[in-house]
Amino acid sequence: MPTDPAPCGVPALALRGVTKRYGRTTALEDVSLGIADGEIVGLLGHNGAGKTTLMSLVAGLLRPDAGEIEVRGVSPVRDPRRARRELGLAPQELGVYPPLTVRQNLAFFAELAGLRGRDVRLRTGEVAEPLGLTALLDRRVARLSGGEQRRVHTAMALLHRPRLLLLDEPTAGVDVETRARLLAFVRELAAAGTAVCYSTHYLAEVEALDASVAILDHGRVIARGTLRELVRSHGDSAVELDFSGAPPALRLPWPVAHEAGVLRVRVERPHSAVPHVLAALGESARRLVNLRVVQPGLETVFLRLTGRRYTDGPDTAGPARDGRAPEADVGAGGSGDGPVPTGERSIEAGRHG
Amino acid sequence: MGDGALGRIAALVRQDGRLLVRDPSPLIVRTVMPLLLMSFMQPLFRAALRADDVRGATGAEQGVPGMAVMFLFFLVNIVGFAMFREHGWHTWDRLRAGPARPFELVAGRLVVPLVVAVVQLAVVFAAGGLLFGLRVTGSYAALVLVGVPLALCVVMVGMALVALCRTIAQLSVFANLLALLFAGLGGALTPRSALPDWARPLAPGVPSYWAMRGFSAVILDGGGVGAVLLPAGVLCAFAAGLTAVTLFFFRAEHRKLSWS
Repeated sequence: MPTDPAPCGVPALALRGVTKRYGRTTALEDVSLGIADGEIVGLLGHNGAGKTTLMSLVAGLLRPDAGEIEVRGVSPVRDPRRARRELGLAPQELGVYPPLTVRQNLAFFAELAGLRGRDVRLRTGEVAEPLGLTALLDRRVARLSGGEQRRVHTAMALLHRPRLLLLDEPTAGVDVETRARLLAFVRELAAAGTAVCYSTHYLAEVEALDASVAILDHGRVIARGTLRELVRSHGDSAVELDFSGAPPALRLPWPVAHEAGVLRVRVERPHSAVPHVLAALGESARRLVNLRVVQPGLETVFLRLTGRRYTDGPDTAGPARDGRAPEADVGAGGSGDGPVPTGERSIEAGRHG
Repeated sequence: MGDGALGRIAALVRQDGRLLVRDPSPLIVRTVMPLLLMSFMQPLFRAALRADDVRGATGAEQGVPGMAVMFLFFLVNIVGFAMFREHGWHTWDRLRAGPARPFELVAGRLVVPLVVAVVQLAVVFAAGGLLFGLRVTGSYAALVLVGVPLALCVVMVGMALVALCRTIAQLSVFANLLALLFAGLGGALTPRSALPDWARPLAPGVPSYWAMRGFSAVILDGGGVGAVLLPAGVLCAFAAGLTAVTLFFFRAEHRKLSWS
C-alpha cells in the first residue's frame, strides 16, 4: 500500500508536551513523541499507563488539556477531518457490525472514505488479501472466530490507505495464525512507508516487528529509542533464584537484591556467574526451587525502568514465537504456565541439582 | 454541504438499510400489531363514533389512524436502538475517528427510520381499507401531507431521546411512556370528543393530537390539502423543536450504554 511521503521534515506523528486529565486523574503528563514515515513504534505500558488515551487523542476522539498534536503537520484538534484522513485507528475493543458480512463491513468504511462502485470492490480485496480475509468476505462477522473478527476490525482501519496507523493491542486474545498475519502485515505496511503506532502487552511482538519503543508509565514517556539503544542503556542481566521459604543472605562480588521473594544477582555475564552463585548457596541450595539466567532484553529494560515486570498480558496464550525473537524460554520443568519473559532461561533446581 | 458529505450520508443510509434488511422482524411485528389490536377494538370505536353522530361509521375511521399513530410512536425505540447499538458494537468511536462529521453521522441515521415510518403508515392505512373497511372521503395527498411530518416527528423524538438518555434502558422506558402518553392525549385511543376533561387542554401539546386532527379532517370530513395545512404545519413545528433539542443536547463524544 504505497503512501505519499510527508512534507519534508514533517513527522507522521508529533506530540509535544501533551497532557490529558480525567477529573483529578492525570492520564498523560507532558508527553512528547515523534513517529517518522515507515517507522513502527511499540507503545508499551501497563494497563492504565495511558496508551489508549494517547491513541484517542491522536485520533481526535479526545482533546488534550495541554500540548500540541500533529498528524503529518495537521492538528486533530484544529482540523480534525483533515487529520483523520491521514490516520487509521483500530481501537482496543473490537468494533465491527456482527450481523453483516465481512464484505459489507469493509465496503461501508470504503464508502465513508469516498470510494464508490468498482473502487470499493478493489480496495476491499486489496485489504482483505494480506489479512487472510478473502475467503471469508461473504461470511457474517458474527460467525467468525475471535481472531478472524480481529482481522476484520484491523482491515476496517486500512481502507482509506492511512499514512499513520494506530493499532491498540491488535493481537489481544487472538490465535497464533492471526498474530503472525498481523505482524507480517504491519511490517509490510511500514516497509511501504506507513507509520505505525502499535501498543501491545507482548514484548516479543515489538522485537519481532523490529520496532522502536516508547515506554509509558503513569502517563509519562519514561523511555524512547530503538530496541538496541534501550537494551544497551537500561537492560540488566542477572541470575534470579527462587527458594522455598525466605531467600538466604549470599556473599557474592556482585550486587544482590531481594525482589518480591526472588533473589536477584545483577551481573554482567550471568552464565559465567552461575557456578559461583550456586557455590555460595551452601546448605541453602536444598531450598532452591528455580534458577533463571536473565539476559538483557526488553523485559529487563521494562523492569529496570518501572520496577515491575511486563509479562502479565491480557491473556495467557502468550505471543507467537517468531524466529526473530532473540531468546526462547527453556522451561525444563515444562510447567506450561504461560510465557517466560523474553531473555530468560529457566532451570528447575530440583531436576538439575 | 460539499466535500463529499452527501456521499458519506448516503453510505450511512446504505449501512442502515443493510442492517434493516438483515433483521426486519421488529418492524414487521410493529406493523402487524396495530392491525391486530384494531381487530379487537373496531366494535368499540364504531360505538364511540356512532355516539358522536357519525353516520354509517365502521369504527375504522377512528381505529385505523388511531392505531397507526400510536404504533408509529413505538418506532421511537427503533430509532434509538439504531444509535445505541453503535455504542454496543463499539463502532461509534470508529465512525467518529473517520471522515464523517458528527452532523453527518446523525443525519445519515434519519433517513431509513423516516422511510420506515412512512411505509408503516401507508401499510396500516392500506390494510385498514382492505381488512376493516376504512374509506377515505377526502384527499390522499392531504393524508400524505399529515403523515410525512408526523413520521419526521417520530424520528426526531427518537433522536432527542438519544441525545438526552445515557442508557438504552432509559431510552426504552421514556420511548414507551411517550408513545402511550401521546396516544392517550392525542386522541388515538378514543375520539377526541371522548377525552376526559383534564386531558382536553393538554391535548394540543402533543404531536399525535395534530396528526389525529389532520387524519380525521381527511377521513371523516372529506377534507383536502387546505384542511390539513394547520395540523401539518404544527407537526413541522414539533419536528423543528425536537431537532433543536437534539442539536442542543447531542454530544458525539458522550458515552452511551447499550444492553451489553
